[in-house]
Amino acid sequence: MTAVAQTIAAADGLDVGQIRRDFPLLQEATLARGLHYLDNAATTQKPRQVIDAVSTCYSEEYGPIHRALYPLGEAATARYEQSRQTLAAFLGAGSADQLVFTRSATEAINLVASGWALPRLGPGDRIWVSRMEHHANYLPWQRICQQRGAELRIIELDDAGRLDLAQTPELFTPRTRLIAVCQVSNVLGLENPVKRLCIEAHAQGIPVLVDAAQSVSHLPIDVADLGCDFLACSAHKMYGPAGIGLLYGRVERLAEMEPLLLGGGMVDEVGEGTAASRWAAVPACFEAGSPNLPGAAGFAAAARYLDGLDRARVRRHVAALTRTAAAALAGLPGLRLLGSPDAVAILAFTMDGVHPHDLAQLAGEQGVAIRAGHHCAQPLLRHLGLAATARASFGIYNDLDDVEALVAAIDSARHLFG
Amino acid sequence: MADHGLYKDILLRHYRHPHNRCDGEMKDADIVRRGANPRCGDEIEVGLYLDGEQLREVRFRGRGCSVCIASSSMMTEAVSGRPATDARHLCEDMREWFRQGDGEGLTAPPSDLQALSAVREYPARRRCVLLSWDALSDALDAV
Repeated sequence: MTAVAQTIAAADGLDVGQIRRDFPLLQEATLARGLHYLDNAATTQKPRQVIDAVSTCYSEEYGPIHRALYPLGEAATARYEQSRQTLAAFLGAGSADQLVFTRSATEAINLVASGWALPRLGPGDRIWVSRMEHHANYLPWQRICQQRGAELRIIELDDAGRLDLAQTPELFTPRTRLIAVCQVSNVLGLENPVKRLCIEAHAQGIPVLVDAAQSVSHLPIDVADLGCDFLACSAHKMYGPAGIGLLYGRVERLAEMEPLLLGGGMVDEVGEGTAASRWAAVPACFEAGSPNLPGAAGFAAAARYLDGLDRARVRRHVAALTRTAAAALAGLPGLRLLGSPDAVAILAFTMDGVHPHDLAQLAGEQGVAIRAGHHCAQPLLRHLGLAATARASFGIYNDLDDVEALVAAIDSARHLFG
Repeated sequence: MADHGLYKDILLRHYRHPHNRCDGEMKDADIVRRGANPRCGDEIEVGLYLDGEQLREVRFRGRGCSVCIASSSMMTEAVSGRPATDARHLCEDMREWFRQGDGEGLTAPPSDLQALSAVREYPARRRCVLLSWDALSDALDAV
């Protein structure tokens, strides 16, 4: 790193050298030699603290969760519920019972769509999403609206790519049953004014779901302060293990929600018919099947790791990298940035005359891992008149070396194809 | 960078200066078929100009990445002026070559197409190569 880069990095407060030493893949893996990993919006690498938590769980305290009458099972249950508490504190939830473990943020959103929204949705009702939603926060709402003769309405974007609430007069009206928006767009990287949206929606009695898949790794999140009714996120995008996510819900909303998966662990008493069965208490009633204990332990370890770094610093760090990269990329002839320089950790861009797949492939050959495609946001890409873009996304282990490598790789692609 | 990895010189030449590429609609073609990959937005239309069972000329138009455009260009070169049966065999060979992995026991494709060989190392890009060949195959079904 150059002296200037070191100064800037130090000013942002994260010791990237130390952080990188926590990530075995970045230190040791053959495929990671010379790698500039800038695909963090897709998934993040894992620190040793997370890997150890998963590994220790298997090697020292693995057993069935709930109802085991021996010390190992009790230890496993305690680890699972402690993990839930850690994550509740991480997100500012009043109680651990407000957190439901799921397989993913996607599953969490589907649970709300089918378990909470569908039963209270009628013909002519409206669910609002934004133009910038990931397919995970779009398709579940589209389907339930079709099933009930309801309308899926779109909050469009202004020229700067921000939610155009001024042009959406019907948003806060009695026909609206739910508003579901991302906190940070996985393409534009822009942060939506979720708190303001919640205040205005609640004034009209409208619940709000926040898709925090792209924000939880970068922003301090306090669900009580945000005021949202539901919030979904996954572990693997915040340096946690793959295969586990969570749904936060306000107590009264979770009490209204129907379980989607029926089976073991979610029922207290099985009756002659479904109506006669008594479901277990929240959140167990939404966690049918054997819980993912190692996943929960790793998820909690990731939360502790981020808290240890100080999430306000994490935010400043990725924001500084994003600004620097945006300024440097914008200087390349033919390069078009989507979103804006104050994007949170994510920059999507196109280059005149070079297909995004070629950009990403060439960058990959130079050790710079970026993404190309529609980023599971086809409604947004169509709106922008694009089929695909390239996307670089930053994380805690990235520094200005990665930014320099990115810009050099994109510039060389321009020369090769230009 | 030239001749490095995926981006062989021949591939880049075909991408920069594609052969048999049309700008507008191929209204005078006997058969036109389209192939699309919604994941990356690539779209290729292949037009056959027939002389009985003979492919007098094959052209294409559309948008795509370098691999997709180069493969389309090479495809039109490889099959123009040949009997439809030969083109069908070549389509089969290309599909086998890219879908089967080692390509053992297959006739090596014509020389320029060998430049696409590197793409076999990049499974994510195989579809880019085959888009125009699949459209050609559809068109040949209508001959």
